[in-house]
Amino acid sequence: MLARWNYIPALGQVAFALYALIILFGGGLAVTSRSLVRAMVGLVISLFGVAGLYLLLLAEFVALMQILIYVGAVSVLIIFAIMLTRASDDGGEAAGPDRRGILRAMPAFLFPTVLLVMMLRKYGVTGAETPKDIPVAALGAGLLGPYTLPFELISVILLAAIAGAVLLSFEKRGVD
Amino acid sequence: MNPLVYYQTVAVLLLGMGFYALVSRRTLVGMLIGVELMLNGAGLSIVAAAQLTPTDAILGQLGALLVMGLAAAEATLVLAIVLVVSKRFGNADADGPRELRG
Repeated sequence: MLARWNYIPALGQVAFALYALIILFGGGLAVTSRSLVRAMVGLVISLFGVAGLYLLLLAEFVALMQILIYVGAVSVLIIFAIMLTRASDDGGEAAGPDRRGILRAMPAFLFPTVLLVMMLRKYGVTGAETPKDIPVAALGAGLLGPYTLPFELISVILLAAIAGAVLLSFEKRGVD
Repeated sequence: MNPLVYYQTVAVLLLGMGFYALVSRRTLVGMLIGVELMLNGAGLSIVAAAQLTPTDAILGQLGALLVMGLAAAEATLVLAIVLVVSKRFGNADADGPRELRG
């Protein structure tokens, strides 16, 4: 067992285990909590754990963007959604899922997880032992060089999403 | 078993937990939280695969950034849809807008 773990240096193992535990704890809280606000806190914990894994993978720019975009923007959006729909502690989740809901949800969790983990163990790809170190300048050069089209497309998509959100939540006069 | 397998296992667990939330939650906001978990698993899987294999690592990191941008756009739209649904049905339960009749 120890020989197997020699791939990752010891400190890396400890950090990986810590981040994985943070992700699992936060995800479990996000999935099972009966209060949507607590579920939101669980999601934020899980997002921080994923950012830690990005740091372990030497993708520090992605880790910072994870904290900036997800923790900073997306979670605030979801908290706004929770507040604006008054779905706080006594919201629709307070009763918790009934037995049939859990019966339906367990296969939804087990089927992809078991299938994919079994495939991972069987056809486990051979990856490098240490991640590549890409400078942030290379990412910027990539965005301005070969990957300009996705960069521009994502801004169009964000603009369309903003316009759509404004259009959807706009109060129409004359209706009710 | 090498590091890539462990990273992918964590990503698969994120996918599974998100799927569980998507099926078991009663409210639209709870389902949105599940979708965000799944998208995080996708991003982690992309970055781990790009950083630990001979693939172009720039492509992988920029792909993860693209996923984050898409998640932000999706969360914006879902917030607007949740607002419309809660205005029309009084709450944000997923059972409300089940019928296609306006």
